[in-house]
Amino acid sequence: MTTQAPAPTGSSRSLMQFALRLREAGVLVFLIVLGLTFTLLSPQFLTVQNLTVVASSASILAIAACAQAIVLFTKNLDVSVGSIMGMVAYLTADYAANHPGITPVELVVIPLVIGGGLGCINGLLVALGKVPALIATLGTMSLYRGATYIYAHGQEVTSSRLPHWMLSSVDARLAGFPVIVLVAAVIVALVGWWLSAFPLGRRIYAVGSNQVAAWFFGLRTERVIVFAYVACGFLCGVAGLLYAARVGTVTVVLATGWEMSSLAAAVIGGVSVSGGSGTVVGAALGAVVLATIDNGLVLMGVPEFWRMFIQGCAIVAAVAVDAMIATGIRRSLGRQRRG
Amino acid sequence: MSRKIALPVWELTLVLMVIAAGAWSSTLSEYYLSVDQIFGSTRFFIIPGLMALGLAMVVSTGEIDISLASTIAVGTVTLSKLAAFGVPAPIAIVVVVVVGCLCGLINGLLVARWKLPSLAVTLGTMGAFRGFAFIVGSEVGYTDFSDAYLYTGSEYVFAGIVPVSLFVFLAAALVVAFVMHRTIFGRQCFSIGLNADAAWYAGVDIVRTKILTYVAAGALSALASVVWIGQYGSARGDNADGSILFVVTAVVLGGVDINGGRGTIGGVVLALCLLGTIRNGMGLANIGGPSQTVVLGALLVAGVLRPVLAAAVLKLARRPRAA
Repeated sequence: MTTQAPAPTGSSRSLMQFALRLREAGVLVFLIVLGLTFTLLSPQFLTVQNLTVVASSASILAIAACAQAIVLFTKNLDVSVGSIMGMVAYLTADYAANHPGITPVELVVIPLVIGGGLGCINGLLVALGKVPALIATLGTMSLYRGATYIYAHGQEVTSSRLPHWMLSSVDARLAGFPVIVLVAAVIVALVGWWLSAFPLGRRIYAVGSNQVAAWFFGLRTERVIVFAYVACGFLCGVAGLLYAARVGTVTVVLATGWEMSSLAAAVIGGVSVSGGSGTVVGAALGAVVLATIDNGLVLMGVPEFWRMFIQGCAIVAAVAVDAMIATGIRRSLGRQRRG
Repeated sequence: MSRKIALPVWELTLVLMVIAAGAWSSTLSEYYLSVDQIFGSTRFFIIPGLMALGLAMVVSTGEIDISLASTIAVGTVTLSKLAAFGVPAPIAIVVVVVVGCLCGLINGLLVARWKLPSLAVTLGTMGAFRGFAFIVGSEVGYTDFSDAYLYTGSEYVFAGIVPVSLFVFLAAALVVAFVMHRTIFGRQCFSIGLNADAAWYAGVDIVRTKILTYVAAGALSALASVVWIGQYGSARGDNADGSILFVVTAVVLGGVDINGGRGTIGGVVLALCLLGTIRNGMGLANIGGPSQTVVLGALLVAGVLRPVLAAAVLKLARRPRAA
């Protein structure tokens, strides 16, 4: 570096925090504008029933986006999210179908263990194998999905073979609120708290901001990255279980393409792909934005493939906004760097 | 660079692996070792091969483009529209290549000009291009292509043995290899991948070079869509969905450093031969699609773990001497 960077003084740090908060507020404003537009265009949009549908469909994506965000904080990414969810969902449903006396505790522990294990494989490849995250998880994406196919032998687990309470508990309501939305909100809040208030959570951000600096500071960066992937796998396990219970009939293609949606949600919610910045609450908000767009397009009778186009454009736009914010911060810090 | 002593070890290993895979395939079926079967099996890797050549150019600068499979969908749908309007095939092919260049230009501008992270950008354009292809082409496939459109991908020459598309691929491979290894532009690509700062101080126009690699990748994918039409005879928005795994695997297995700066086009072509042979062999051995995907994924991971494994082996081998 040719120019001496000024030490992060109080004012510049608060400026950075201000910009980041602005980014999340921006998502919220965008969400409100989106909601108003759909309200004007379709009378059915702003009804309690419809908003409940939006919230329920956003909740599982919010957990998956949360999982993706944790890995993104460390400046890596995970494109095997959908495959982990699919494998967890199929294995758990298959186990539940073959063991009718399954207890709720087992039903929650099994997906967590499987998800954490699959995430751990990703983490070991990325952190210890020094494989670029995209390549490693692109490989495991097909490995996990293929393994699910081979295990399933072309079968599917129908809802009639699953325990009844497993399916009904997802649709249950607590004081008018769908339980699934509450579960997602609690998980996002817990993960957000853990990331901001506990040493390990802070280390995840530190490694993503500057891995070399974190290493010199004394953090065992490899372990932190492995841990981030395990946490990601855990959350994917939860999301996979909820998804399986929600759709009832579990097939091997469950959650295909969710790596894209989860990444889109996280990026739209202000999580930077360059690591170290963003919040899981933002990622969850991004999931709500995507669910709102989906819902609005359906209400307006727009063909389904517009969704793919809009989602893609939204990712590019969100990345561009992040880059502009980053440039603004750099400029205000007086550091002139060629990107 | 000690060019004189360095043997292309990895390329030679790949040649051996291709021969081994061929030998394995010939034990599976007595029909394997026939000239038309072997030439016919090249069909398996020509479409991903054209994409891989483009991706190798992009990767050499340290960037990545995972939107190439969606560019194919844009290309095939464009071809279907042109065919529906009765445009002569040669003109249509030129138009499609221009469209492919435009797709690449969008990626290139976003990544190089506006300095956005290439992975996130091309992930976005992957969805956007495919969505665009669906919007233009609707979900109904188009199949009424005239023979002139199908010629490149479906015809065989030399007594009906050698596919025309193989010549397209070989010509493209030769051109890309020449550009990457024998021109200033190619050296500049690798220099950016090795050390962008140093390249910039040396006067390399990083923005222009990166944009050009993206445009070339888009053009090659458009060419692949012409071959696609010939092989499958159908144009729809979901064409080539999911084929990026094969492409990235070929590039990585071909010895191109995914962080940029190193690699040879010859290695990529050999890796394509290897993957094509393995896939063909697995087809002969009656191994299903999902298992093939598992093998492909394992090969990809093995391909990127290769330098780490090699370093570990070297370390183990050196230890006794040091002790």
